[in-house]
Amino acid sequence: MTRYTRLAGVAVLLMLVPAALIFFYAPEDYLQGVSQRIFYLHVSSAIAAFTSFGVVLVGSVIYLRNGSLTADRVARAAALVGVVFTTVTLVMGMLWAKPIWGTFWTWDARPTSTLVLWMIYAGYLLLRRLAEPGRQAARWAAIVGIFGFIDVPIVYFSVTWWRTIHPGPVILTDALPPEMLLTFLVTMACTLFLAGVMIAIRYRIEVLMDEAPSPVMAPAAVIAKREPEPAR
Amino acid sequence: MIRSAAVALAVARKDLTSEWRTRELVPALGQFVVLALVIANFGFQIDSRNAATIAPGVLWLALVFAGLVAFGRAFAAEREQSSLEAMLLTPAPAAAIFAGKALAAALLLVVCEAVLLPALSLFFGTPLSLALVAAVLLATVGMAALGCLFAAMVARVRAREVLLPLLTLPLWIPFIVAGGQAVQVAMGADGSYNQALGLLLDFDILFLVLTTLAARFVLDD
Amino acid sequence: MSTIVANQLTQRFGSELALDSVDLVLDPGEHLAVLGENGAGKTTLLRILATAARPSSGQLLIFGLDATRERGRLRSRIGFVSHSPGHYPALSATENLEFFCTLQGVDRGRVAETLRLVGLGEVAFRPAGLLSRGMQQRLAIARAILHDPKLLVLDEPDASLGSDGADLLAQVMRGKTAVLATHDQAMANRLCQRTMVLRKGRSLGAGTRLRVVR
Repeated sequence: MTRYTRLAGVAVLLMLVPAALIFFYAPEDYLQGVSQRIFYLHVSSAIAAFTSFGVVLVGSVIYLRNGSLTADRVARAAALVGVVFTTVTLVMGMLWAKPIWGTFWTWDARPTSTLVLWMIYAGYLLLRRLAEPGRQAARWAAIVGIFGFIDVPIVYFSVTWWRTIHPGPVILTDALPPEMLLTFLVTMACTLFLAGVMIAIRYRIEVLMDEAPSPVMAPAAVIAKREPEPAR
Repeated sequence: MIRSAAVALAVARKDLTSEWRTRELVPALGQFVVLALVIANFGFQIDSRNAATIAPGVLWLALVFAGLVAFGRAFAAEREQSSLEAMLLTPAPAAAIFAGKALAAALLLVVCEAVLLPALSLFFGTPLSLALVAAVLLATVGMAALGCLFAAMVARVRAREVLLPLLTLPLWIPFIVAGGQAVQVAMGADGSYNQALGLLLDFDILFLVLTTLAARFVLDD
Repeated sequence: MSTIVANQLTQRFGSELALDSVDLVLDPGEHLAVLGENGAGKTTLLRILATAARPSSGQLLIFGLDATRERGRLRSRIGFVSHSPGHYPALSATENLEFFCTLQGVDRGRVAETLRLVGLGEVAFRPAGLLSRGMQQRLAIARAILHDPKLLVLDEPDASLGSDGADLLAQVMRGKTAVLATHDQAMANRLCQRTMVLRKGRSLGAGTRLRVVR
């Protein structure tokens, strides 16, 4: 059993701790009932996603400054993990919204920005897949990573500004009783650990893919290169 | 600094002269936006009551799609790619070359807007005011900078028609939010026009600076 | 100081090895012909020498400067004629060159005489899109010498030039260091003192006026 498998096992088993806390320790919310329990994982996923994209930002900046391949690989790995956690956040958000607001989706600042975030980094991944692997793809993706990270707070701000003019449903923000706070912090810590492990594993995969690209694993671009360019 | 400006202006002039002589893009864009308005009319069931509500949305949809085409084309053609390389092999700064191309693409989109806005006013009965024009022009600046930056990226990538909107639209959202508000107010809705315009200006400055800094990473290897 | 010192230049595209550990030394004023089949790596090598592309690995010094770090400073001293000319078809030959004068930071006055030099004096004001392939090639050569570079990198410039192409190239290359990729061995021998042969990305050897025996 490799150390990655062991690490992955630990991370997954560790998630049982917050699971236990969420269902057996944290008190039920008076207003929202059972569905409120989604909140712990929903917000933790969001934080894990943002942290991952922060890693993408750092990796991108480092790559642009000194061309470090490690930084680029870390960025790639973190982007994928970030998109996974953003997806989880969005889905959980929708599952939470339906019983509370009666609708799966609102164009509030937070759901909107999260969706935009998803689109930006899905674009990052698509660009890496479609562009010929190498220095240029890495540079372009780094630019996308940096612009995307800057854009999200701006989108959030714009939509918030818009909402002051066109108000919509407000997300309930109560002060958290200590048991809930503890549950949340534990969930967040374990989720972040899980995210870190996932990034580490994906990083290793990126290293392997870089070292020995084969037609099976190579992105579409390299395969396409063997076809002649269509005449224009 | 002065040389950069000279280079940017020369590049813009070259692109605009080429477009003027071949007239490839602008007539097609003009036709496209008018068609978009016709489709909107049937898609939205426009009547005199809801026209003012729907018109701003139609304006932005048409503008976004026209913009994607216009900016995509700034870097698209194969010949464009080898000429771009020839330009980069000179001492001219990549940021200046980029600025020139973005400027030309923005001006071409402005010409298209000169068709879109009157047509919108004609078909939808909405007022055409200086306030409206100012908002659209301000938004165009920032959208052009971002659109051209990503167009330069995807020009050498497969499936660029899919990738360009995917990368560009998320970054255009702040412009559409602020610009949308400004346009709505200009067409009679309540709200703060000045605030919206101020936001547009802020976004323009921010993204002009960022894209200029990013240009050399995108254009040059 | 040698004009070009290249050490183990390698270029990878994905899993494809376009250039494999190529070494090269070129002294000032020397003309080097690069021969090889299509796909042998000539274009790849020339693009790297012109700083239009970066090698995957290896060292390259041009005019004593590191080619990967000092591209900005080197580019004003290099003239490159690539495979596709990339002229602006709606602009005239003169306008095309004047535009590049602005980019190069050189005086526009040289355009007219450069066009005459390459034999395009008659069609100076014709749109580049209406020029024949051979004329476009000449325009590309004109563009490459506009800023009086010390190093010329020419990728199959003779392809469409016609009978006096070799004379033109000889005239253009005089007094400069040059790297010329071509299929035409006779021209290579006439214009260049040295020859390098590439096959499948590897250099089979560089020497003086090689006669390639199949």
